[in-house]
Amino acid sequence: MVMSGAPRRVVVTGMGVVTPIGTTVAEFWAGCRESRVGVGPLGGFPLEDLKILIAAQIKTFDHKARLGHFKRDKIILHVDRYSWFAAAAADEAIKQAGLEVPFANGYRVACIIGSGAGGLQTVETSYRDLFILKKKATHPLTLLRIIGSSAAAHVGIEYGIKGPTFATCSACSTAAHAIGIGMDYIRHGMADVAIVGASEAVINYGVMRAWQAMHVLSPEGIFPFAKRRNGTVLGEGAGILVLESDEHAKRRGAKPLAELMGFGMTSDSKDMVNPDIEGPSEAMRLALADAKLAPGDIDYLNAHGTATTINDKNETNAIKHVFGKHAFELAVSSTKSMHGHPLGAGGGIEAVACIKAMQDNWVPPTAGLDEPDPDCDLDYVPNVGRDKAVTYALSNSFAFGGLNAVLVFGPPPH
Amino acid sequence: MDDVAGKIVDILKKHMKEPRDDIGLTTALTDLKIESLDLAMIVFDIEDTFGIEIPYNANEEAADFKTVGSVVERVRGLIESSGAAAAKA
Repeated sequence: MVMSGAPRRVVVTGMGVVTPIGTTVAEFWAGCRESRVGVGPLGGFPLEDLKILIAAQIKTFDHKARLGHFKRDKIILHVDRYSWFAAAAADEAIKQAGLEVPFANGYRVACIIGSGAGGLQTVETSYRDLFILKKKATHPLTLLRIIGSSAAAHVGIEYGIKGPTFATCSACSTAAHAIGIGMDYIRHGMADVAIVGASEAVINYGVMRAWQAMHVLSPEGIFPFAKRRNGTVLGEGAGILVLESDEHAKRRGAKPLAELMGFGMTSDSKDMVNPDIEGPSEAMRLALADAKLAPGDIDYLNAHGTATTINDKNETNAIKHVFGKHAFELAVSSTKSMHGHPLGAGGGIEAVACIKAMQDNWVPPTAGLDEPDPDCDLDYVPNVGRDKAVTYALSNSFAFGGLNAVLVFGPPPH
Repeated sequence: MDDVAGKIVDILKKHMKEPRDDIGLTTALTDLKIESLDLAMIVFDIEDTFGIEIPYNANEEAADFKTVGSVVERVRGLIESSGAAAAKA
């Protein structure tokens, strides 16, 4: 580990997403522009006795088209769905960054790609094969598909990444933690480039039954901050950023998309499902302090906004706690209203939404917000996005267990 | 208290850190310090014991889960309708 010198500024030079409303950044953002909602009838596997029959699934992802060109990773077409999403998003991000790959200076590049649950599709298929169909053996790649580090490893192999390569795992905060840790490594000189984010692909029968048993999914839809909200809707996908030190980007003539200015992380230390107000508030405060910004500097806040009764009210209160009067001047929206709740991947996809908002000076909407809950009285950009000058944006991720991670983005440094 | 109610009270006591002996049909679940995950586990136990399914949404105010008595009534209703369905099948 080589950490030295003054903290370096960290910029974003590439972004990639795979989401239920678009499997590239351009498609995804076009979807946000149209307030496109990716929630639909569950499909692709026998629904049997499922009670919740909706999800935000990715129905138009062709892994052969997206990953067939991979050269160094020989088995990428045979990996778990979650690794496909990660690889495709990383590919888009690295292409946009214009980095030469495989990296010549591989040991100076980090690859931190997390997942809340890793290869659960493979777990379900293997379970059926082994225990129900009594097949003689599981597929030889079964273990490698399941483990939560495989996406990071596959991306690392393809691009010649030889520095810190591993996964983060913190449920709905997984991507934000990966991004924050990558930022730290670059800031303190341990890496010059970091491919960071997360991927999640867990929509299958077993997982739907597991979620049903918690009784927090909505049978109707995901309506953050609305009076009618009654739970969340599962999504899937990946969100990946290319982070670089500002000097590294300048030296190779790359044009940064944004600066990653701050990261705050806390834990509620209270309850596995019910959030507290202190943990999220402190994470936002720490992120702002790390970015050397005041609450009044933030123009757009991408909320965690899962549309559970409890998150949206608690998050609203935490925002007011931190931002005071400025809370009412913020544009706050939950893009989960459009792309569903992609669990671990959320923070990555939402980081991209923040950066696009800054680039376009346009804030994405909270779709489905017909009538707001009186307890949720901020400006959630209801239904339709709008023009707004966005210089600084903040993104919240608050996970099961009370694990909180907040990112702050700003314009590219001159 | 009949058999159904008795079994339900036993399940409630099993899930309490300090089980009380004075649980009656009018006892409020909030009095028993039952919170969201406790409720999910209790419902799971009840479903298993009686072979029924109790659909509910933790995001909604559930009148069915206000008191022990309301839980018993809900379970009784579900047992009857699952019995009727079985009889038809």
